[in-house]
Amino acid sequence: MANVYDPHAHAAPAELDCAKEPIHIPGGIQPHGYLISVDDAGRMVQVSANMVELAGVSAASLCGQPLSRVLGDTADVCMREVGTQDMQGAPRFICAIDDPRAAANPSGGYAPLAIVAHRHEGATILELERAKGTADVFSSVYPLVRTFLRELSENHTISELAQSAANEIKHITGYGRALVYSFDDAGNGHVIAEALDPSYPSYLDQHFPGSDIPPQARALYVLNRIRLISDADYEPVPLVPAMHPATGRPTDLTWSSLRSVSPVHVQYMKNMGTWSSMSMSIVVRGRLWGLISCHHATPRLPAFETRAACEHIAQMLSLQIEAKEDRSQAEYRLELRDRLSRLVTAMANSERFVDALSAVETDLLGLASAAGAAIVFDGQITPIGLTPDIRTIERLVAWLDSKGEEVYATDQLAGIDGEIENPDAAGILAVSISTLFRNYVIWFRPEVIRALKWAGDPRGKLASLSARLSPRESFDVWTETVRGRSLPWHAAELEIAVELRTALLGIVLRRAEELAQLALELSRVNEELESFSYTVSHDLRAPLRHIAGFADLLRDMEADRLSERGRHFVERIIGSARFGGRLVDDLLAFSQMGRAALRIQPVDLAPLVDELVAEQRRDQPDRTIEWRINPLGTITADAVLIQVVMRNLIDNAVKFTRNRAGAGDSAIIEIGCEAGHGELADYDVVFVRDNGVGFDPQYVNKLFGVFQRLHRFEDFEGTGIGLASVKRIVERHGGKCWAQGQLEHGATLTFAVPRRTVVVDTQVRETPAAAVARLAAVSTHARPFRNVRKSSE
Amino acid sequence: MLRPILLVEDNPNDIELTMIALERARLANPVISVRDGAEALDYLRRQGQWANRADENPAVMLLDKKLPKIDGHEVLKEVRADENLRRIPVVMLTSSREEKDLLRSYDLGVNAYVVKPVSFDDFMDAISDLGIFWAVLNEPPPYSG
Repeated sequence: MANVYDPHAHAAPAELDCAKEPIHIPGGIQPHGYLISVDDAGRMVQVSANMVELAGVSAASLCGQPLSRVLGDTADVCMREVGTQDMQGAPRFICAIDDPRAAANPSGGYAPLAIVAHRHEGATILELERAKGTADVFSSVYPLVRTFLRELSENHTISELAQSAANEIKHITGYGRALVYSFDDAGNGHVIAEALDPSYPSYLDQHFPGSDIPPQARALYVLNRIRLISDADYEPVPLVPAMHPATGRPTDLTWSSLRSVSPVHVQYMKNMGTWSSMSMSIVVRGRLWGLISCHHATPRLPAFETRAACEHIAQMLSLQIEAKEDRSQAEYRLELRDRLSRLVTAMANSERFVDALSAVETDLLGLASAAGAAIVFDGQITPIGLTPDIRTIERLVAWLDSKGEEVYATDQLAGIDGEIENPDAAGILAVSISTLFRNYVIWFRPEVIRALKWAGDPRGKLASLSARLSPRESFDVWTETVRGRSLPWHAAELEIAVELRTALLGIVLRRAEELAQLALELSRVNEELESFSYTVSHDLRAPLRHIAGFADLLRDMEADRLSERGRHFVERIIGSARFGGRLVDDLLAFSQMGRAALRIQPVDLAPLVDELVAEQRRDQPDRTIEWRINPLGTITADAVLIQVVMRNLIDNAVKFTRNRAGAGDSAIIEIGCEAGHGELADYDVVFVRDNGVGFDPQYVNKLFGVFQRLHRFEDFEGTGIGLASVKRIVERHGGKCWAQGQLEHGATLTFAVPRRTVVVDTQVRETPAAAVARLAAVSTHARPFRNVRKSSE
Repeated sequence: MLRPILLVEDNPNDIELTMIALERARLANPVISVRDGAEALDYLRRQGQWANRADENPAVMLLDKKLPKIDGHEVLKEVRADENLRRIPVVMLTSSREEKDLLRSYDLGVNAYVVKPVSFDDFMDAISDLGIFWAVLNEPPPYSG
């Protein structure tokens, strides 16, 4: 249909028909010129019916006659040109001649005729159109384009150039309105320049949906770069015969400049009061970049030379746009590179590069001309500028993870993932910093409509227009087509994103190296610690053993010879040496807890607690304790270590309720386990509550410290390692522990460990012997074995 | 004659305390004390200064982990690899409560692993129990070699 990109002509109902219409074989031409198809011998084989005007005989009778029958001597010139030049594709100007009728009737007002020729699908087609004169057409074109040429050098931006072109074309053609459109990737049009007479409404800055021009018309526009409808009321002139004798098909008029246009299109033109239109294609890098479109309220036939000039202007504009685009791309790249180097410098100088990235907000956003960005690093999301909410970003990150691409960009996110529909994030550009971890920088671009609304809704300007097919409605249609779309991401932006990624990787890599170095040092320190504790285990324990051993012997064998005081000293030596031994053992057990690998598995607390309580009853038969054991569930933890935790807590409770009997109350120890709430929602919370001596809450933070004691040694024995072990083990499980209590009013010691999904791997499951060894190693003062030996005595 | 108890221990304090403990356990078995791993192997293999000893393997070897020259684990490994010695009961008698020492000992085929208690009473009990168990109660492997 549309051989002119006409903003009035978008309307949908006719659209369906247009898309199917074979517009390149209309079967006829417009009446303002003549068409002759000749064979290689120079005989006319098909002519337009209006040839009768030129030849005075019927078109049918001309077929089979030599071309010279109509053109006289010029026929030879034409045939020579056609025979020697490559005439495929766009028509070439051959010459201009006086109208054959003018010789007989000089005062008939017959204008000269320009002859253009081309070959297509085996047919040679000559077209004759009204010209200004018979002189060299190019010398008459030059004055028409001269002004534009001069302005080319003065204009700097594409829109300035477009404005010049619109002005110049309107000027030389005399059309009432000249528009310059640019198309986006989806084919949506935007009026970027306009020149008009006062009576014509303005379309400047209007948007039109890509569907206004059917795809086959777009393809045609790239090939045949100028189209003219001189009179919307024209009667198409058929070709005679209807089928081309050489092909047996209707003649393909793709390249013909007289080609008749779709009646649908002509109807729209008339509806909108346009009786003549002409459009030139702006083709940049082989793509239909835009159109120059002219409209006039009455029929109008620009001379051949004028149209040639317009075509030139369109071509010059195309070349200039290409050059400007290349240059602005290059400048844009330079600007991006500047920003990148600023960012990289800032990051390199910063402890945390995320801080550096987010600190220079304008540079990070400017890097991708985005309205918002999010830095996703080490499980933290740092939003900058206009972004969706954190939850949406999290979903987006999960989705990006599933794609696993280093750089991902889309200008229509909603189309890909229906779930993520957010006008602030219609388009995203994401670079993954690490394939191992979820580390990304994501830029967001808002929906175009939204962006445009900020710039000013063009509908406002045209609100007064009430025509049924007004641009206002067209804008609405366009709005629908670009709903959920952002501006497209430029190649330069994608490239700079890759470079940022490389820079970030470099930084991350450096950090990783530093960490690896740290880990190396740490493992060296750990080794030293291990050998230290080994030394302590062996070498410090041995002399303590010897002191205790010989002092024991001294007491046993030589007690009689010692004075009362001497015996007292010996007792002190023995006590101190034993306590020293226990300290060493506890310290070693404590250090083991920090080093041993965790074997997380479901642990049923009830039998574990039952066993420990039974052990207390066996160990301290003289104590009366009321045990209140709540229903205990299963937690996920290292069974051996959690046993140590529970043993310490129960030992503690038993120890500090010792004086209850004296106070007349019975000791009560309550043990429970419940699901956590609030920030402990995914934790199991276990508590041991007693009604013992409690503690002064101001020392609560000392309670879990290593070798911290809140009671005098004479009152409550112990090395002060028990609760420190509890804390260490719980923290190694990723949990936390705390205490509540009042002096003389009991204490509640609580720990929480995260609930996990554990896959019990048989290979990981330890043997009973290994578990016993581990328990021995992490138990303070060899408790697990003591009972066994005692009961065997 | 009763099979001897072989004590492999370098520290004189430990030797003295262990000897007293064994004495107090009233065991009839002789106690042979050697000072390092190399000497222990010499004794077992009847070489060097022990070339002329009676060809009877000990009822039990009480082996300290930490020894000069050849350490306890090495000795244990040699013994277990030696056709003539591999059935000798070996008890690791050590100060170390290190998990990895314990596991290594079991991996090498130790018969028992005892951490020397700090208290002499406990130590006495331990040695006495060990002596009675291994030298009296336990049925040793049949005479070999």
